[in-house]
Amino acid sequence: MRPDWSIFRRWEGLLLILLILIVGYNALSTPGYLTVGNWVNLFQLSIEKIIVALIMTFIIINAEIDLSVASVMGFSACMMGFLFAGGMPMEWAIAGGLLAGFVAGLFNSFWIGIVGLPSLVVTLAGLIGYRGLAYVLLEDRSIGEFPAWFDRLGQQPLIGPFPLALIVFFVLLIFAIIVLQYSGFGRYVYVIGNSKDVARYSGVRVRRTKMILFVVSSTVAALAGILYAARLGAVRGDMALGFELDIITMVLLGGVSIFGGTGTMWGVLLSVLIILNLRNGMGLANFSGHVQTGVIGVLLILSVLVPNLAGTVQAALKRRRARTVEVVAAE
Amino acid sequence: MRKLSTIILSLLVISSLLLAACAPAAPAPAPEAAPAEATEAAPAEATEAPAEEAAAEATEAPAEEAAAPSGDVIVATPGQAVKMVLMPKFLGILVFDQANQGAQEAHAELGNTDELQFLGPTPENSVAGQIEIVTNATTQGVQAIMISNNAGDQIAPAAQAARDAGMTVVTWDSPIPSAEGEQLFVAQVDFAETGTVMADMARSILGEDGGKFAVLSASPDAANQNAWIASLQETLTDPAYANLELLDIVYGNDQSEDSYNQALALIDKYPDMELIMAPTSVGIVAAAKAMQDEGLCDTVKVSGLGLPAEMVEYTLNGCAPEFALWSFVDLGYTTYYAAYLLATGAMQGAEGETFEAGRMGTYTIEKDPTRDAGLRIVMGPFTVYNADNVEAASK
Amino acid sequence: MNTIRRRFQPEQIRELVLIALIIGILIFFGTQIDNYFSPRTFTRISTSVAVIAVVAVGQTLVILTRNIDLSVGSIVGFTAYIVGTILSINNDIPPVAVVLMAVAMGAVMGSINGLLVAYGRVPAIIVTLGTLAIFRTVLVEISGANSVLTNELPRWLVNLPPVNAFTLGPLDIRLLFFLAVVVVIIFQLVVSYLPWGRRLYAIGSNPDAARVAGFPAQRIIFTAFVLSGALAGLGGFMFLARFGNITVVAGQGIELQSVAAAVVGGVNINGGLGSPFGAFLGAILIDVLDNSLIRWLAISEFWRDALLGLLILLAVATDTVIMNRLRKVWARHELQVSGDGEPPVEKGGAGYAA
Repeated sequence: MRPDWSIFRRWEGLLLILLILIVGYNALSTPGYLTVGNWVNLFQLSIEKIIVALIMTFIIINAEIDLSVASVMGFSACMMGFLFAGGMPMEWAIAGGLLAGFVAGLFNSFWIGIVGLPSLVVTLAGLIGYRGLAYVLLEDRSIGEFPAWFDRLGQQPLIGPFPLALIVFFVLLIFAIIVLQYSGFGRYVYVIGNSKDVARYSGVRVRRTKMILFVVSSTVAALAGILYAARLGAVRGDMALGFELDIITMVLLGGVSIFGGTGTMWGVLLSVLIILNLRNGMGLANFSGHVQTGVIGVLLILSVLVPNLAGTVQAALKRRRARTVEVVAAE
Repeated sequence: MRKLSTIILSLLVISSLLLAACAPAAPAPAPEAAPAEATEAAPAEATEAPAEEAAAEATEAPAEEAAAPSGDVIVATPGQAVKMVLMPKFLGILVFDQANQGAQEAHAELGNTDELQFLGPTPENSVAGQIEIVTNATTQGVQAIMISNNAGDQIAPAAQAARDAGMTVVTWDSPIPSAEGEQLFVAQVDFAETGTVMADMARSILGEDGGKFAVLSASPDAANQNAWIASLQETLTDPAYANLELLDIVYGNDQSEDSYNQALALIDKYPDMELIMAPTSVGIVAAAKAMQDEGLCDTVKVSGLGLPAEMVEYTLNGCAPEFALWSFVDLGYTTYYAAYLLATGAMQGAEGETFEAGRMGTYTIEKDPTRDAGLRIVMGPFTVYNADNVEAASK
Repeated sequence: MNTIRRRFQPEQIRELVLIALIIGILIFFGTQIDNYFSPRTFTRISTSVAVIAVVAVGQTLVILTRNIDLSVGSIVGFTAYIVGTILSINNDIPPVAVVLMAVAMGAVMGSINGLLVAYGRVPAIIVTLGTLAIFRTVLVEISGANSVLTNELPRWLVNLPPVNAFTLGPLDIRLLFFLAVVVVIIFQLVVSYLPWGRRLYAIGSNPDAARVAGFPAQRIIFTAFVLSGALAGLGGFMFLARFGNITVVAGQGIELQSVAAAVVGGVNINGGLGSPFGAFLGAILIDVLDNSLIRWLAISEFWRDALLGLLILLAVATDTVIMNRLRKVWARHELQVSGDGEPPVEKGGAGYAA
């Protein structure tokens, strides 16, 4: 069952138009908008979220969901901070943080893949549980004072004007596009999302695919968490709180259906750009974070409502036309 | 074919972004790129706006360098155009609204022809939100920003980038601990003195026999509360306070729900605690309400730093017999003057400079003894409120 | 054994297991903590459960229909704030009118959700993610980020939390807790005995069959969301009474707490199974754990959330794995008992799988 390209060609076209409109409006109303500095800032302010959005796309297309990503981000970063504060060299601490995320992914995939619990519930438990573990590690403290090279990697440009996180994002983006749209694994992801049972009877290794996705999801979240820590220069138990909603919104706005089976990485890329530009433009116009989130919420609902209504109207028109034809034919 | 066209379109978008990024030759650090950049597609305003403001500053700065040499009191020249931003820890707390009131008063007094904006994050997003506002202000070409810092040292990179772009950065109420990126800290009171005031109030409430108490603070990152608590702990080492025991420090994040629940948790955990000291205007109210709801006002008292308007009921019914504060209106007013003077170039922000801040009088910049680095001015006195003066003060 | 099997459905066993679990945890902590079994503990737990219990009941109604309502946190915050602001301006509004105002406000917001989900056919998770943000934004904009202050509220409201409905021996049954219990009882009766309530289960377990059978599914789902909003509004009123000082971010996180309470209480996230009483028990279990961990000095209170996450996993795992087995055993024995000595046919498939 190939992904349905026709619908989403239309959807991505709409997204592209929307993006151009938004960028255009922002550029005209705020001086200094179309500068490298601003665009790097624009990405940097949400770079960790969009990195995780890449893997979240896979998961949602697979008809699952991972609510625990933000907590895993916090947990891995806190593990890194905890190990570092305990005297471990920074490199090992980073590896420890990544390992923590990997183990979290294994834990999630055990309950989802082997025990067979719904991913909503397992990752909801993870959302609460991993955050709790982050607090257990750091309690109320914050750990800072990382080596200068670590802070520099997080905050200063690395190649040209691009900081490390942005480069990581681009690399992962290309990788994600290739895997999702052009590889066999990607096709399995779509098939399973469309119908788990059909996939199983067709010989697709459903359980293995799902488990791989959740392990990758938590590991990527761990990476994002560590990049976030580098950008802030400190870790706290409550860092990245609430990020999962933004991440899921980015993916859903990109045309990925919550029921699975449809959506493309291009759509998600466009939606990410739209959201980043919207936030940045509104931020520069001094709209508060809440207004930004509200506007994005409206956008999200419209993104599904409008096609639905359009579909209903279209169907009604078609029926009327058919009836007219019948009447004409009958005469 | 149609799939191909979508791909091509999207690639065009990405490549135009990359072109925009790569075209200007020098890979300069991001913030400095902002005024220098604005090539190709950008409208002309982008290059002109920062240039204009720089020119305006340049022509005006020599104009009021009237009484420049230190030793003389520097007075502000009113009527200039300085774009300023007042940023509290977050929005929604009365004390910060009062600070804004003071700043607006100074703004009107000085006849600043440009705008004063009151921008802040929402409480749950305070750290990241503050960093974002500072970063955006740098892009917008704001000339002075006044920060009540809730982000610890995490805001230092953004503040330093703002300084590099020529912006005046003044902190008030809560400084940047490392003083990086900060020109001057307007301290409402001497932070070391705060510890003594709190210890004295604790002693006066707990009486001769002393007792056990706990601290309910705001956010674990808040530089001001942390400094006050540190000075309190130091004061307690003095033998005069030997019969006071500090049981625990908990954090309510300046949220009434969290603070209320933390207060309840404290009485559950420490049954023989007799006082909750809350150096945060949100925490003290929440703790007082919690004690009142539990009917424990006779055994557990509440004290700390609070607004008379919010605490009057609890002081009169004995839950919070004593608490202290200073005037946030005055703090905002004084901070505005300091920032205005720095932004217009009248003051350099060097140690020893003396300036006049309108109706608040004169202040001299000094080294901040409570931090390793940083300069400060100390504004004004504490007022201790109790049943005698709280009603009058709450009007 | 046969009589037990005859009298109780597996789902009811679930609720009994929950009660046993709560009692077990209480006994355990009683041995660990001094003065645990005191009226103070009961009051502490009952007052903090009250708000969540009410919201969790509304959430249950929605989850039963195979939807979810993530906007309840924003609804609670919104109603708490607006009602508080109105009361600050006009202290003389009668209490009953205040409660009705909160409920009505919540119902209106719930109806927006209901319209979009039932008639706009937008998936509930998307709608409520969107309205979570939108309601919060509207609140921040209307309020100008100011806070509601305790001293501006009428005295009766500020003094409401300590008021007792009645006392049961040494235990104080607070008015707000009593209100929550009444709500739970009412809605438990609704879903057990009213046709409308029964249809919630039908829609949740098999939407297509429900539609074919002619239920006005859209109207029922719409009503479920309206009720969820209304109950969240009531929760907002209770929230206001408890905390007094309301900031614009009040209520954030309540949506996850209510879903957690429902899930731990046996409400199946795919719809069709569970009850408001179960959600109530789930909320109690979570709160008992919370409050006990704070006092238990052996381990740091920061383990709270980690243990809560584990609890949710175990609760759902129990639901899925053990309940499945139990249902098969039940079914097999039903067939054996009612059949004519024929070997029991194990009915797998859609009807008995979770």
